[in-house]
Amino acid sequence: MTRHHAAAAHPIVRHHERRGAARRALAHVVDRFLLLPIGAAIGLVWANTAAESYFRFAQPVAFFVNEIGMALFFALITQEIVEATMPGGALHSWRRWSVALFAAGGGVAGSAACYLGFVGYKYETILLATWPIACAIDIAAVYYTLKTIMPRSGALPFVLLLGIATNVFGIFVVMPRHPVLATHAGGATLLIAALGLAALLRALKVRAFWPYLMICGTLSWIAFYREGLHPAFALVPIVPFLPHEPRRLDVFADPPDDDATHHVEHEWNEAVQIILLLFGLVNGGVILRGYDTGTWAILLAALVGRPLGILAAVGAAVSAGLHLPRHIGWRELVVVAVASSTGFTFALFFATGLVSTGPVLAQLTIGALSTAAGSALAFGAARLLRVGRFTG
Amino acid sequence: MTKNRCAAGRLLTVLVALASFAVLRPAAQSVPLPSQPDSLKFAVIGDSGTGDQAQYDVGQQMANARARFPFEMVIMLGDNMYGRQQPQDFVDKFERPYATLLGAGVVFFASLGNHDNQNNRFYKNFNMGGERYYTYAKKNVRFFVLDSNQMDPKQRGWLDDALKQSQEDWKICYFHHPLYSDAGRHGSDVALRVSLEPLLTKYGVNVVLSGHDHVYERTRPQKGITYFVAGSSGELRKGDLKPSGATAAYFDQDQAFMLVEIGGDGLFFEAVARSGTVVDSGVIRRQGKT
Repeated sequence: MTRHHAAAAHPIVRHHERRGAARRALAHVVDRFLLLPIGAAIGLVWANTAAESYFRFAQPVAFFVNEIGMALFFALITQEIVEATMPGGALHSWRRWSVALFAAGGGVAGSAACYLGFVGYKYETILLATWPIACAIDIAAVYYTLKTIMPRSGALPFVLLLGIATNVFGIFVVMPRHPVLATHAGGATLLIAALGLAALLRALKVRAFWPYLMICGTLSWIAFYREGLHPAFALVPIVPFLPHEPRRLDVFADPPDDDATHHVEHEWNEAVQIILLLFGLVNGGVILRGYDTGTWAILLAALVGRPLGILAAVGAAVSAGLHLPRHIGWRELVVVAVASSTGFTFALFFATGLVSTGPVLAQLTIGALSTAAGSALAFGAARLLRVGRFTG
Repeated sequence: MTKNRCAAGRLLTVLVALASFAVLRPAAQSVPLPSQPDSLKFAVIGDSGTGDQAQYDVGQQMANARARFPFEMVIMLGDNMYGRQQPQDFVDKFERPYATLLGAGVVFFASLGNHDNQNNRFYKNFNMGGERYYTYAKKNVRFFVLDSNQMDPKQRGWLDDALKQSQEDWKICYFHHPLYSDAGRHGSDVALRVSLEPLLTKYGVNVVLSGHDHVYERTRPQKGITYFVAGSSGELRKGDLKPSGATAAYFDQDQAFMLVEIGGDGLFFEAVARSGTVVDSGVIRRQGKT
């Protein structure tokens, strides 16, 4: 037995190795935003084995998670986008946006048309207003799916832009349609006060983000809530006032170790991950036999309508003289379009933002969760078309 | 030959009787409707608006029943209209099947199901006053009609206030999706139950009626409330019900509707099949008065 083997066999060494492996596994889960699907899976099992206890837990907690906690998630996303689109940021060049914007428009049109067509065909008019759910793209899921299939590909920034443009559009549709108990006047005044204070903090060169969050963010949240806007988006107008540094890398990638830039999102990333776990847990639990027309409509729209819409729109853009992103051919684009059919997190959020507790939400939730199949389909398409890691 | 025919007829009768026994199990104690002159009498239909022959048969049977039990109103548990909902569909799927009742001045009070266009709340014969959820009182009974498709905070807040203000002896709530159901396709909507049940028990609601599952079912009282599923007045999902310990009676072999009479502290009910056979009946005594 060598000295190395003897040391490796020592219980303390094994203990440290196990801890190290567990830490790496946890970091992997956190980095890839996997806590949300894990939470949703727990919720799904719980709801289908002990429904009453699940809903007794989930319903009172849902408000705090969906309407307060998720504000941090959207602040983080906004922060990443603001930094990435600053001069020197990875997504600064507007030339990069052009084809992606076409693709986003095509994806929205394709999924909305498919959804509304199916729901109209079934005469379930109550579902008509929920079409934005069918358009949502889970940016993180799509990003990591494509990163696994074709690492370092030009498809990654392209799909980020596509996802951001699509979801920003969805957010603007969902935000004013949030079901609330009552609306009150005075929200606009509060929001102006929040923005004024944020501007003042910035002028005073306050670099800590807590004053922005606790003072301006709270005022903005109350303003949104009073006006009947979805308060999860309350930090979005505050975030641009925070101190920023341009990001050189893709939105989801970490800065290198020698990067002196201080990104505030690192400070609240852990809190956001816990919120995402809870978000999946309190919203993902749905009784599976609650599937209905809305479920099939979402699946059809996401898995068929959106990829077709994206491909048609990009085809039109290329015909009009625009260029595909570098190193992306039509085969890669098909894989990107199929991968983008995963709506998961954003679809789930749009569903809870548009629809209250009840059977309509249940059938839409099942549809939103089922769009996770888009990732598997993307792998299938890549294999079929010999794209990325399946080349040769 | 005649003898053989008689024997076959008797055998058939016995088989039908046995089948009925199996279908109606667990059988309820037969309690006839008292049909008192000053009581509130109404009928209940759910998932009715197919426009099929079965709906017309049920409509005819309701008209027949009215001759012996002169109900003045009908409550509709949602899915009052399936498929296309153009003006002609209101004729084919509502006005013609219930023409006799409408002609006799019977008033319908509808709730919305998942197949109903939300704009149907403006249809005058549904008497919803343009509202998704509303309340009305008849004699000593207050009805609370909900839109169970989604229980938004506004509707839940409204129900809380309306129940609090109610002074009537009887409180009856009806909406489309059942809080308790042993049917196989949909079953109990537990999320809705967790949201609504605390209000229903807090304010002493006596009876809750729903549809959605295309069967008839009556539960044993759950936290003091008797729940009915009456979602087979047009649509039918034959053999869909798997009775549990909460099931008091059920019928899932043919279309059905209900007749209800409330007088004093008793709510008498009958479930009537499309054939006219009474498949369940009983009386519910008002909570605290049993």
